[in-house]
Amino acid sequence: MPSEITDYWALLEALAKHEVEAIVIGGVCAVLRGAPVNTFDLDIVPRREPENLTRLLAALEELDAYYREAAHRRLRPSLAHLASPGHQLLMTRFGALDVLGTTTGDRSYEDLLPHATEMTLRDDLTVRVLDLPMLIRLKEETNRDKDRVVLPILRHTLAEEQRRKG
Amino acid sequence: MTPETPAEVVPDQGPVEDLPAYGADGTDLTLIRWMLSKTPGERLDILQGSVRSLTRLRDALRNNGLLGAS
Repeated sequence: MPSEITDYWALLEALAKHEVEAIVIGGVCAVLRGAPVNTFDLDIVPRREPENLTRLLAALEELDAYYREAAHRRLRPSLAHLASPGHQLLMTRFGALDVLGTTTGDRSYEDLLPHATEMTLRDDLTVRVLDLPMLIRLKEETNRDKDRVVLPILRHTLAEEQRRKG
Repeated sequence: MTPETPAEVVPDQGPVEDLPAYGADGTDLTLIRWMLSKTPGERLDILQGSVRSLTRLRDALRNNGLLGAS
């Protein structure tokens, strides 16, 4: 049974357990960077290299992932799906998980990596998270209503963070 | 890549009373300062709690016929 409430901890723990190399973007990234926003899914951009995709697929199997749009058919992601630059919009037993082969501007894991840092959430859980300037840039480029709404909060968060650092 | 640990959360360096509560666009800056005072793990806990509360509220509204099933 999929969870009605996304369990971000459980999703991140499953990815870490399988040593999936991925960058957290989107709303969870915004929150981890200190922005007071809400989101109902976890967005990640994985490294699309065969061994990593095999580990990602194992994590998704453990999470009982299937495509949200084909819920009645319980269509499962495959290695070929994960290797594509497209977006895999999945439901799991811990809630919604979006696996993005590329993001705005056809940016891959490798393109985003210089703009990401590791954040330690717990002693045993470290995740790679996009930085705020690049998150803002992606949202500016996407320019959807939902991105424009959150942009002022992200910009103020970046300014406040910079003020604190002096 | 340098790991960003909770110890690296930057403490607020300015007196709160001298800082505006809202940005010119109406953004609540006090919430941002509050979030930045938390560790990344605490921020994820806050999101988790917020989503849980919103879902509970939605379910209550739905159970009372005040919100259509989606």
